Amino acid sequence: MKEPFIELRNISKYFARVIANKDVSFTINKGEVLALLGENGAGKSTIMKALYGLYHADEGEFIIDNEPCIINSPKDAMRMGIGMIQQHFSLIPAHTVLENIVLGNEKGILDRKKLAEKVYSLSQKYNFNIDPNSYIKDLPVGVQQKVEILKALYQDVKLLIMDEPTAVLTPQEAITLMDFVKDFVKRGHSVVFISHKLQEVMHIADRIIVMRNGIVLGDILKKDTNEKDLSKLMVGKDIPVLKKTTTQFSETILKVENLTVAGKQGHLALKNVSFTIGKGEILGIAGVSGNGQQELGETLSGLYLTKEGEIYLENQPINSLSVKERIDAGIGYVHADRHTAGLVLDMSLSENLLLKTSFHKEWSNKSFIKRKKLNKHAEKIVQNYSVKTSGIDEQMKGLSGGNQQKVVLGREVEIGTKLIIFDQPTRGLDLGAIEYVHRTILEERNKGKCILLISTELSEIFALSDRIGVLYDGKLLRIMDKEDANTESIGLLMAGINNIEANSDNINTKDKLPGRENTNNES
Amino acid sequence: MNPKIKDLIITTFLSILFGMILSGLLLLFLDKNPITAFGKLFSFLFRDGYTFADIFVKATPLIFTALAFAFTFKASLFNIGAQGQFYMGAVAALSVSHLLGGIIPGPVALIIIFLSSLLAGGVWGALVGFVKAKFNANDFLVSMMSVYIALAFMNYLLRTVLIESKHEYPQSDPILKDVFLPIFVNGTRLHTGFLMAVVIAVLCWIFLYKTTYGYRIRVVGMNPIAAKFAGIEAGRIYILAFLISGGLAGLAGFTEVNGVQHMLVQDFNTTIGAEGIGIAILANANPIGIIFGAILFGALKVGGSILGQTSGIPSSIIELMEGFVMLFVILSYYVRRKLELRREILKLKSEAEV
Amino acid sequence: MISLLTRAVLMSTPILLGATAEVFAERAGMMIIAIEGIFLIGAWGGFVGVYLTQSYLLGFLLAGVLGVLAAMLYGYITIYLKQHQIVTGIAINILIAGLIAFFHRVIFGIPLLPLTIEPLKTLPIPLLSKIPAIGQILFNQNILTYLAFIGAPLGFFILFRTSTGLIIRSTGENPVSVDVAGLKVERIRFTVTAIAGFVGAIAGSFYSVAFLGMFSNTIIGGRGWIAFAICFLGNWNPLGALIGALIFGLAEAIAIYMQSSGGTFLPNELFIALPYILTIVLTISRKNFNVPAKLGIPYQKEN
Repeated sequence: MKEPFIELRNISKYFARVIANKDVSFTINKGEVLALLGENGAGKSTIMKALYGLYHADEGEFIIDNEPCIINSPKDAMRMGIGMIQQHFSLIPAHTVLENIVLGNEKGILDRKKLAEKVYSLSQKYNFNIDPNSYIKDLPVGVQQKVEILKALYQDVKLLIMDEPTAVLTPQEAITLMDFVKDFVKRGHSVVFISHKLQEVMHIADRIIVMRNGIVLGDILKKDTNEKDLSKLMVGKDIPVLKKTTTQFSETILKVENLTVAGKQGHLALKNVSFTIGKGEILGIAGVSGNGQQELGETLSGLYLTKEGEIYLENQPINSLSVKERIDAGIGYVHADRHTAGLVLDMSLSENLLLKTSFHKEWSNKSFIKRKKLNKHAEKIVQNYSVKTSGIDEQMKGLSGGNQQKVVLGREVEIGTKLIIFDQPTRGLDLGAIEYVHRTILEERNKGKCILLISTELSEIFALSDRIGVLYDGKLLRIMDKEDANTESIGLLMAGINNIEANSDNINTKDKLPGRENTNNES
Repeated sequence: MNPKIKDLIITTFLSILFGMILSGLLLLFLDKNPITAFGKLFSFLFRDGYTFADIFVKATPLIFTALAFAFTFKASLFNIGAQGQFYMGAVAALSVSHLLGGIIPGPVALIIIFLSSLLAGGVWGALVGFVKAKFNANDFLVSMMSVYIALAFMNYLLRTVLIESKHEYPQSDPILKDVFLPIFVNGTRLHTGFLMAVVIAVLCWIFLYKTTYGYRIRVVGMNPIAAKFAGIEAGRIYILAFLISGGLAGLAGFTEVNGVQHMLVQDFNTTIGAEGIGIAILANANPIGIIFGAILFGALKVGGSILGQTSGIPSSIIELMEGFVMLFVILSYYVRRKLELRREILKLKSEAEV
Repeated sequence: MISLLTRAVLMSTPILLGATAEVFAERAGMMIIAIEGIFLIGAWGGFVGVYLTQSYLLGFLLAGVLGVLAAMLYGYITIYLKQHQIVTGIAINILIAGLIAFFHRVIFGIPLLPLTIEPLKTLPIPLLSKIPAIGQILFNQNILTYLAFIGAPLGFFILFRTSTGLIIRSTGENPVSVDVAGLKVERIRFTVTAIAGFVGAIAGSFYSVAFLGMFSNTIIGGRGWIAFAICFLGNWNPLGALIGALIFGLAEAIAIYMQSSGGTFLPNELFIALPYILTIVLTISRKNFNVPAKLGIPYQKEN
C-alpha cells in the first residue's frame, strides 16, 4: 500500500557553529503520515528545510519518484509537489488572505473577484471557512495556520511538511488539524509531521523517525513502539525526577485584584484577573500563547498600565510604580523573549548583568561603573550556574541558548527578592538546560520567594506548580491545587470550556466564552 | 593581538590607501600624474610649521562634528543635523563675543562663550531628540531638515542683526582680540581649540564606556526593547543623546568663530557636517579613533587645497578622496565580517575533528 | 493666482517623480538614502548631456544612466553586502558631489562665463490647454510634468492591482514569504532600486534642464530629501505622494513669489526655510500607518 514518494539519502548540513544534520537517510511514502520526533535542536526542521529548498544540503541527495532531484529553492520543491508549513508563518499580517495565497502563484493584473472565488471554493473543499478578504493580522492564530495550509493546497502539493504545527493551537484546534491531516493523507498524499510532543506523534503518525543531535536514531512503525521507548530514544539518558517538597503557605506576598489591561491592538488583553501567591509558593499559569500571558507578566513588571484593578506586593499597592521602581521593589522577570527583552546580545556577559541595576548605587560610584565589583559578580554567576563561556567579557550572542538563559536567571533571581515571574523559561532549550532552570525555580521557591510560572508546556506546569490556573482570552479560569488537576481538565480550560462540574453529562451546558477561537466551530 | 583588532587596523589602513589610489587614478583624466601629485601633497604638509599645524586647525571642528554623529549613533539614532547645530553654535559664539568682548576679562568671556555655543547647539539638537521621543518622528529626516532651517536663520541674522557696521556684505564685524582663542604654537594658526577637542573626545569616550549614563545610551542603541524592560526610558535617552550631540557640534562653531575666522561669514565650513559623519564611520564611532580620523581628513584638506592652488588640481579631489575612503571603509566592514565568519567555521571544524 | 498654481504644479514635478520612485523602493524594503546624490548626478548628467549634444533626449538619457549606476552601487553594497543603508547612502552622496565637481572640471575646465542651456519648453496639450484656468495650470506644462502626473496613478495601479506590485509590497513587509514563494528577494530589491535611480535622476535633471537652464553644485539644495520625506508623508502610496508633492510645490511657488515680488515684512529666508519647516511639521503630525514592516533591514537567511 505504501509506495515510496521521496527518499532522502545521506543528507548532511553544516552551519557556522553547528552540525545540524549528519548522514540522514529515510523514505517518505505516499498515503502516509510520517512523524519526525526529537527535542529542540535535534535537526528535524533543518532536514525538512533542506528538502524544501530553503537550505542547501552540503552532502547527500534527494530521490523523488525514483529520479534524483536537485532542489535549490522552494520553487523547485513546489514544482515537485512539496509544500511546507513553518513554525513561524511566512504570512504578511498587513495583507489579506487572498493576497497572501496569490503571492507568487498568479501573474499579471489581479482580478480580485475571480481569485477570491477560487480561494474560497478551495477552502470549502477542506472544510476551512475563511473570508479571502480578511486581513491576516485580524485572524486568530489557528485560522492563520489554515491560511498557510491553504497556500500550499493552492499549489497542488502532494507532500505537506508541518513543523510543530500544534505549538500555537488549543488542544481542540489541534484535533481539527489532525482531522485535516487524516483527510489529506486518505487522498493519497503524504504528510511529514515534525514534533517534540510524544503523545501527539503516537496519535497521528503511521511511522516515526526519531532524531537527536542531527542523526537518525530510529525509523519505526507506530504499531511497533510506545511512548516509553520513544522517549528513551529521544533523550538517551534518564532525567532525574525532581523531588518537590510541599510546604504550608503562610502569608500572601502577591495579591492581584480585578486586573484589566488593554493590549496593543486596543482589545482587552486581561479581563478581571484575580489571584494571590503565598510565600514559598509556585503558581503555574497554563494556556495557549496569545491569551494574555505576555501581558500578565508585563503588567506585573510595570510595563503596562492597568485599566482597572490593583496589584499588592506585601500589602503595598504597586500599581503606580514604574518598571524601575518595581525592580527596586524586588520583582524579577524572566521574559519569554530572552533575546529581545532580556539581553543585549552585543554586550558582554558582565555588562548584561548590569542591565536592570545600572541605577543602583551599589554598582556605580558617582555614575562611574564599579568595574571590579561587576566583574567579580559576573565570575560568581558563571561559577554558580555553570555557564559555559570563554569569559565574562564574551559577547552574549556567543553563548548557547541554554547558557544565555542561565545568565538571565542568575540576574533575575538576584533582583527578584520577593517575586519572580517566569514566562516560558525553557522554550528552545535542550533537556540539560531545562533541568537546570527547573532546579533553580524550585531553589528560589524554597528560599521563600513567590513564583509566578507562565508556560505553554503542561508537563512543566505539572512538574513545578503548587497551584495551577489557566488563562483563556484574558480571563483567569479557575485556580486549582495541583492534586486536583489533570491534562484533560486543563486542556478543556485552555480552550475556554469552563465546566462548573466536571461530569460528562454537563458538557452541553458549557460556559462557552466569547473569544477569537470561536470563529471556527468544528470541535 | 586579538585577531579582530588586527583585522580592524589592517582594513582601515587599506581602505585609506585604496581610497587615495582610486582618487589618484581619476587624476589621469586631467592629464596629471597621480604619483607626483600625491608626492607633492605629502611634501606640502611638512614644508613648514605653519602648514603642518594647519592640519590640526582643520581637524578641530571635524572632531566635534564627528563626535556629534558618533554619540547619537551609539543610541542607534542618526543626527544628520550637525551642520545646522554648528551654525547655531557659531551664531551664539559670535553674538556673545560681541556682547561681552572688552567688557569682561577675556578668559572669563571665553568660558561663557564656550557654554553658549554648547547650549545653542545642544538645544537645537535636543529639539530633534524631543520630536523623536514625543512623536516617534524620523530622526534622520528631522535632523536633515533642521540644517536648512538653521542655515536660513543664520543667513537672515547675517543680513540683519549681526551685519557688519558698514552694512555692505552679509557678514559680521570681527570680534575683539581678547575673545580670540589663544594660539599656543607660535608662528601658526593652531589655537587651544584643538586641545579642547582632544580632551572632549577623551571625555566622550569615558562617558560612553565608563559611566552608567553612557551605558544606558548604549543599551538603548543596541536593544531598545530590553532597555524598556530594564526600566530605561528611551525617550529620555533620545533627548539626552541629541542634547550632547548637538552641543558637541555647537562647539565646532565656537572653535571656528573664536579660533579661526574671528567673525561670521556665509558659506564657511559648509561641509564639516557631512565630513564629520564620514570620520565617525571611518573610526567606527569610537571617540579616540575619531581624533585620528579627523587629523587624517584635516591633512587631506590642507594638502588638497595647496595642490589646488599650485598644480591646478581641483579642490574637489578632497571630496573624492573622502568619499572613496568612506566607501572602502564600508566595504571593509563586509570583509571583516566575512573573515570573522571564516574563523568561526574553522574553529568549529577543528573542534569537530577532536 | 493662476500663475502661482501653474508654478506649484511645475515645482512639484521633481518631488513627485522622486517620491514615487522612493515609494516603490521603500515598499520593497529599501530606503534610498542616496537619493540626494542621485538627484544631483541627474541634474549634472542632464545638463552636460544637453549642453554637449543639444538633444534633450540624450541629456535625460545620460542623467538616467548615471542615476542607475549610482543606485546600483548603493544597491549592491546595501543589498548584497548587507551594509547599513544610512551610512552607505551618506558616503555615496559625498562621493557623487566630489565626482561631479571633478568631472565638471575635466570636461569644462574653468569657464569664464557660466554655462547655460535652453530650458525645456512647455508642451501645451492641444484642445485641453485652451480650457480657462485649468487648461493653463494642468495642460500647459513640460513633458516631465506630464510624465510625473501620469506616473503616479500608474504607479498606484501597478503597486496595488498587479502581481508585480504584490510581490514588491510583500518584499518590504515580509521577505521570508517572498523567499518561500520561490522568488529572489535580493534581485527584486536591486531591480527596484536601479529603476528608482533612473527615475530619481530624471527628477534631479528637472532643476537644471527643465527649470533653470544651468548647473551649480547647490542646485538640488535638499530637494532629494524632500522627495524622500514626501514618500513618508504620502503614506507609501503614490497618490499620497501626489498630494504631498503638490503641497510642497505650492510652498515653493509661494516662496519664489514672495522673494521676487520684492519683500514683505517677512524675511526672505523664512520662505526659503518654509518647505523644510513644513516637512518637519507634517512628519510630526502624521502617524505612520503603512511603514513597510521590514524597511531598511537587510534580508538575511536564517543561519
